[in-house]
Amino acid sequence: MRRGRTGPRDLAREPEPRQPGRILDARLHLLDRQVLDVDEVPVCTLDDIELELVDGEPAADGRIDSSKPVVIAALLTGPVLGTRIFGGRPPASRWYRLAWGHVADVGTAVRLGVHGADLDATWLERWTRDHVIGRIPGGTHDPEGSG
Amino acid sequence: MIASDLLDVPVLDDAGTHLGWVVDLRFVLDGSPSTYLAGARLHGLVVSPRTRTSFLGFERSDVRHPWPVAPLLRWLHRGTFLVHWPDVARVPDSQDDTDPDGRAVTLRTGYRRYEPGL
Repeated sequence: MRRGRTGPRDLAREPEPRQPGRILDARLHLLDRQVLDVDEVPVCTLDDIELELVDGEPAADGRIDSSKPVVIAALLTGPVLGTRIFGGRPPASRWYRLAWGHVADVGTAVRLGVHGADLDATWLERWTRDHVIGRIPGGTHDPEGSG
Repeated sequence: MIASDLLDVPVLDDAGTHLGWVVDLRFVLDGSPSTYLAGARLHGLVVSPRTRTSFLGFERSDVRHPWPVAPLLRWLHRGTFLVHWPDVARVPDSQDDTDPDGRAVTLRTGYRRYEPGL
């Protein structure tokens, strides 16, 4: 963006009031973290966050009603390698959503309270298991199983 | 709207003066309770007047080591401030990709700057 006037850079800042809940910064605590399911099995990495304006949508010109809070609706994962290199973003239909209500803890990894096998985000892994690995002789044998 | 619509976007005041770039989004878990975590409300935008992005958040924490990395990054991001979400008047239209260079967050008249520390 072409910058016109540049504003003052070191104006005084007020102390931040104490907040009633835990504080999370998107880049610092969420984005690019590994997502684990309830059994500590890796599910995906967290590529983006879906935000939802409570009781409405922003106006067509981007104006927002400050009286309505914005909350995290879901965590998103998807094919972002190409868009991170070349710019742009994947279409909305290519994102896989992990509902915020399924997030059990946020630490060095984001932990879910559900099984990863039940999520859309792991469909490719399941498809590969059933259609590729499973057709290899011995591919259905579990080496760690009792048999 | 997704987080990428806001991150790295220039921030302007109501007069069009450039204030910096959105380097992070701050959430507070004080929303409606659910089975696991409370709802995450977007509390504000972390704005850096000098850099387009942040690195490990040294300017938002009390970490002083390793020297000289921490002091250097803290100096690079000096002046970073938090602006509360109610002070945001306009956000980029997530459906409008026609002019990506013209995207900006505009703040309301009389917006207030807060310390960004965690």
